[in-house]
Amino acid sequence: MTFRWAMLAPVLTITGVAVGFPLGYALYLSLTDYRLTSRGAPDFVGLDNYFFVLTDPRMWNAFSNTAIYVIVAVALQTVLGLAIALALQKQKWARDLTRAMLLAPMFITPIAVGLTFRFLLNDQLGAIPAALRTIGISYDFFGPSNALVTLAFIDVWQWTPFMVLLLLAGLESIPRQPLEAARVDGASAWYTFRRVVLPLLTPVLTVAILLRSLDALKVFEYVYATTRGGPGTATETIQYFTYQTGIQFFRLGEASAVAFVLLAIVMTLIVILFRRLQRSAAR
Amino acid sequence: MTRTVNPWSVARALLLWVAALTVTLPLLWVALASVKSPAQLNDPGLVLFVPNLDNWARVFEAGILEAAGRSAMVAAVTVAISVVAGSMGAYAISAYKAGGAATRFGILAAQVLPPAVLVFPFLTMAYALRLDSTYIPVIFAHLSFVLPVITWFLIGFFDAVPRSLEEQARVDGFSRFAAFRLVVLPQVLPGIGAAAIFGFTLSWNDMFYGLILAPTQETILPVAIAAFNTFRGVELGAMSAAIIIAVVPVVIASFFIQRRLVQGISGGAVKF
Repeated sequence: MTFRWAMLAPVLTITGVAVGFPLGYALYLSLTDYRLTSRGAPDFVGLDNYFFVLTDPRMWNAFSNTAIYVIVAVALQTVLGLAIALALQKQKWARDLTRAMLLAPMFITPIAVGLTFRFLLNDQLGAIPAALRTIGISYDFFGPSNALVTLAFIDVWQWTPFMVLLLLAGLESIPRQPLEAARVDGASAWYTFRRVVLPLLTPVLTVAILLRSLDALKVFEYVYATTRGGPGTATETIQYFTYQTGIQFFRLGEASAVAFVLLAIVMTLIVILFRRLQRSAAR
Repeated sequence: MTRTVNPWSVARALLLWVAALTVTLPLLWVALASVKSPAQLNDPGLVLFVPNLDNWARVFEAGILEAAGRSAMVAAVTVAISVVAGSMGAYAISAYKAGGAATRFGILAAQVLPPAVLVFPFLTMAYALRLDSTYIPVIFAHLSFVLPVITWFLIGFFDAVPRSLEEQARVDGFSRFAAFRLVVLPQVLPGIGAAAIFGFTLSWNDMFYGLILAPTQETILPVAIAAFNTFRGVELGAMSAAIIIAVVPVVIASFFIQRRLVQGISGGAVKF
């Protein structure tokens, strides 16, 4: 074995055990009628689970909830994250302290963030609805039509810092010459930003959006902490739906099938974005 | 010289102030809630009151420190394995292009798998191997996302080490592994430190795997916090204290690693 493969072996072995094997096993589970409650050997049912979940309106509801959640959350994070990263880059006073403070939310356990906002936004006990009431606004954050957006806002609170982190790193690795050239040419701040900074930042921006989207697809803790999928099924996300099917209703076969449908979508997204990234890098 | 007020810098300062307040206020509110009595908790507007430590006594009684200890143990084992395997792997990928772009990218792909895919196999395996009363399944589950992140992050740091250092060590008679361990590794030690702390917070923060795989009676911190939300109704005060216990160490850690994180990411982790 050559040196480079020997060095890589531990990572590959652990990844094989911790990722490869479960992945294969999950694929097998998705083709059986495996239930946690039944004792006998599971029967092989082929693609039955897939037909079942693909025609289940609850799964599609979970998918569309997740899609709305991801789009709202990531769009807001991108805009806010870019604005904050630009502001931080120019900041000089108390640099480390401000940065650490603004990045802090991404280090907090999501269940704590979810529970914090559950009570901060609670109709009776929450400080925010109480403050809104004093200025005459009544808004039910966890009402049927608002709850999903509220969850997306919690995501924005916790994960905009991650956007800031990546974009700040991107901004600091932009070469100085094009910026100086723009300044010598007397370009306005806005023009420099749009024509110089933004194009140079595009690769990092794409990676940041990709990473955030993939992570937001996995949302579980906020749902578990705040609404448990309700009201009705208004905030049931895929990860939560899979958890319910597999852990609460013990239907591991079906749950694994849902997980693989999600995985297929995730992989398609990655491939599309990766191609676009390579194309923009080649230009 | 007169100083003109630049509207951009005013907007910038305003944005940073609003962002800082948005980050701080929810945490302050939780800190306040943790020293309020049940009656005071019913008044969300209340800011001035006599604090009491009943809630804190409650969470300590409920074993929050033990849960935190178990989380720390799980995270420490996960990070120790990840740092050893990850630094070796990251070096092979960075310096020797081992496995080519496929490995470089494939490592990241492992991290994006939805936990819902992997958790059921972990669960059935834990039962089959009679490991369901240990933390081994949780540690393996955490390795599935901590190891890729640490490896990926360290690639950026190894990319920044000049190859000539290693070549010099080889000329001086070091073996390849000795050159890596004694010459290259010390160069990236700050990066490894930051990666380790970041990996620690990832493991420390996970609830999904812990909820399903950790032993029910002796669970880990995020699950213990969530438990204040379900058992015996909601204990808002005690839960707030538990949240503060979980939050304070990671916020302190984040202060020390944020600069390294920016450095590591701009050093190559966001380049493909």
